[in-house]
Amino acid sequence: MLIQIAHFLAILSTGLFLTTFVFSFLFTKRDKNITRLISRIYSHAFLMLTSSFFIYIWLALNDNFSVLYIAQHSNSQLPSFYKITSIWSAHEGSMYLWIVFLCLWGFLYSSYSPNDNILKARTIGVISLIAVGFLSFLLLTSNPFETILPIAPMDGADINPVLQDPALAIHPPMLYLGYVGFVIAFANAISFLINGDKSIRWEESVRIWSISAWVFLTVGIALGSWWAYYELGWGGYWFWDPVENVALMPWLAATAFIHSLSVSSKSQLLRIWTILLSIIVFSLSLFGAFIVRSGIIDSVHSFANDPERGLYLLSFTGILVFSSLILFSYRLPLLASKKLITSFSKESFISINNIIFGTLIFSTMLGILYPLIYEYLYLQKISVGAPYYNAIFVPATILACIFLFFSIDSKWQRTYRIINSYTSMLFSGIFSLAITISVMLYFVISDLWILVSLFTGLLIIIRYLFVIFEFLINKKYSNPYSIAAHIGLGLLIISISLNSQFSSERAINIKINGDDIYKDYRIKFDNLELIKMSNHDSVMASFIIDSPSGKTFVLNPEKRKYFTRGQITTETAIHATPLKDIYVTLGDQLDDGSWIVNIQFNYFIRWIWISALLMAISGSFLAFSLRGTSR
Amino acid sequence: MITLLRFIIFVIPISLISFLYFFINDNDYYPGADFKVSDMPAFELNSLYENSVVNNLDLEGSYLINVWASWCITCRIEHGFLVQLNSQNIPIIGLNYKDERNDAIEWLGKYKDPYRLIIHDYSGSLALDLGVTGAPETFLIKNGKIIAHFSGEVNKRVWGDVFAPVIKKEKVVWNDQI
Repeated sequence: MLIQIAHFLAILSTGLFLTTFVFSFLFTKRDKNITRLISRIYSHAFLMLTSSFFIYIWLALNDNFSVLYIAQHSNSQLPSFYKITSIWSAHEGSMYLWIVFLCLWGFLYSSYSPNDNILKARTIGVISLIAVGFLSFLLLTSNPFETILPIAPMDGADINPVLQDPALAIHPPMLYLGYVGFVIAFANAISFLINGDKSIRWEESVRIWSISAWVFLTVGIALGSWWAYYELGWGGYWFWDPVENVALMPWLAATAFIHSLSVSSKSQLLRIWTILLSIIVFSLSLFGAFIVRSGIIDSVHSFANDPERGLYLLSFTGILVFSSLILFSYRLPLLASKKLITSFSKESFISINNIIFGTLIFSTMLGILYPLIYEYLYLQKISVGAPYYNAIFVPATILACIFLFFSIDSKWQRTYRIINSYTSMLFSGIFSLAITISVMLYFVISDLWILVSLFTGLLIIIRYLFVIFEFLINKKYSNPYSIAAHIGLGLLIISISLNSQFSSERAINIKINGDDIYKDYRIKFDNLELIKMSNHDSVMASFIIDSPSGKTFVLNPEKRKYFTRGQITTETAIHATPLKDIYVTLGDQLDDGSWIVNIQFNYFIRWIWISALLMAISGSFLAFSLRGTSR
Repeated sequence: MITLLRFIIFVIPISLISFLYFFINDNDYYPGADFKVSDMPAFELNSLYENSVVNNLDLEGSYLINVWASWCITCRIEHGFLVQLNSQNIPIIGLNYKDERNDAIEWLGKYKDPYRLIIHDYSGSLALDLGVTGAPETFLIKNGKIIAHFSGEVNKRVWGDVFAPVIKKEKVVWNDQI
């Protein structure tokens, strides 16, 4: 009965969202009451959808295995926490969550944006239309409410074991909140274009929403990277997996967008860029959903599925993108500002940034699609990997950083003379060069790209330290959020270059009680235990590692075999220090009784996530400081 | 300038979306389906009911292999369609995958047995050789060659879209002797 109620509520909310959409475009008069009415209908639709979702959570918690999806992905033995997270462990449920989040952003916008104008009503209308599109997709092609009748199975098939992990439990919700959060900027841009009144200033009010969404997206991507490192045992932070790339593209576009937005919200400049970027960010989020859920790419994330889903998503995304672009191109003359951008003003630097980010997005897209094009034409599978992306990302990021370096003291709408801040620039240059050269000589680094990246990262951090210094001494104002976020960027570049310089790995064959030496670390294979757990058997090895500095520690990598799905997983063992991780995974046993053990020394890998976190924290403080600007 | 911008913003997404459209509508593309021809791997395993040994030489001609297990929920959904296929005289060989014998026999007793013969693959060795990633999966074999492989639930639609065209094209004649 509850299942039918939840299903019915979801259908009803679809109808109400459709009503909201129709109403918002039916009334064109400027009338406060109409905007209020539309907000109210929307809120009720949202209330129904969330009630339906909460009932669904209740069903999962109570092991209602007559729901096909819950039977396929949950199990009565699971802890309650994972019974809930199992909802977003596969296609139907995660799509459901995606839509709930989409409508949640719309609900927050409609309640907290105190505007009463027609722009707000239209924005809610656009969000409702998108909600209708995705709810129909959910209910027609991937219904999470499908039941197994008449007899429900005794127990569920269990969640995929690699997903039984706290990082993974929060990674999808964070990522989805980020993806769909840009719906507010997108919907605002669309209703602004429909309205065609260029005096309306919508940019300031969407900043807080877009920056919050950007924070979620950043955290979501970082969590995914961390999870792949320690739970999937991939042993690195980024693999240019197609699904990582489809999350990276909206992130790049969003980063460019929030920069461009800060220009357009102050002056009316770069409006073309801002609007185009808002369309691109949201389209790329939808494109990501299409790539992952259509099954056209083999990846850790691909969901088993049927072809209708891909077709529906592609058509819906296509219609949305084209109608936005047609609208955009129709209003282009209106957006073109007569005012020219002053050279060496902050705006000029941000538009350069937009161009560089655009290049990166386009190249990533090409990297994802090239294997598909190749497969289509030659019926052969190829993969595009790290060398391609490194060849593009490394120089482009360095270039962007150099522009960032020169832009730091630039002013809005005014040209600035580099000569004014030459001392801090000169000294940052000298310090960074000195540090880079000493690192190069001490560690004998010969890779030019690594040295250049190291130099660029240092350049940015030291330059910002000068800015902080000037603020403390001369009380010269600068934006603290921007400083913290960009120091995060500098730190990220340094950590990545040092990581790729120093990290190393080796696979060794080792017998029980045998030992081996790798990079002055003595590794002793002490013991191998068979452990029987409630839902898996495990082989746990125990290695005693003596470091050159005389410290001793034990690492216990595992191989697990889960009963219900027969799946074998590898549990890594990591000894983490601020400088490096010692990372051990257990491979297969050879015929002579020895085991293959993979040992990695991952330098500065924690700092990569810390930098991402620093950027996200600065973003959240910025969003917090913008409270009250959303009018 | 504006014309150029208009041109660019339309050319890129149009080419992208139309390519993807052709890609997903391509005949060979069907999620979960694989039409690579490969040899049926050699095996020697116990059958589920009697303790007799089955090996690949016992199986001749054309037949289906369906990978299933009692713990597999989707297999239950698929089961009805397999019974239908069996009643149309299409020989299906069950590959009971990583399952306890008693659970499997109880499962078949509770529902209906659509299989002519069931191989008990407790360790998953044949499944590994076949490249099975989970249950259910279905293989179409003709004279010792795998000519179609589908991962996921086989139903009326999948049968029509994936298997029926191959059966027609390869002029499959079912082996009734199994």
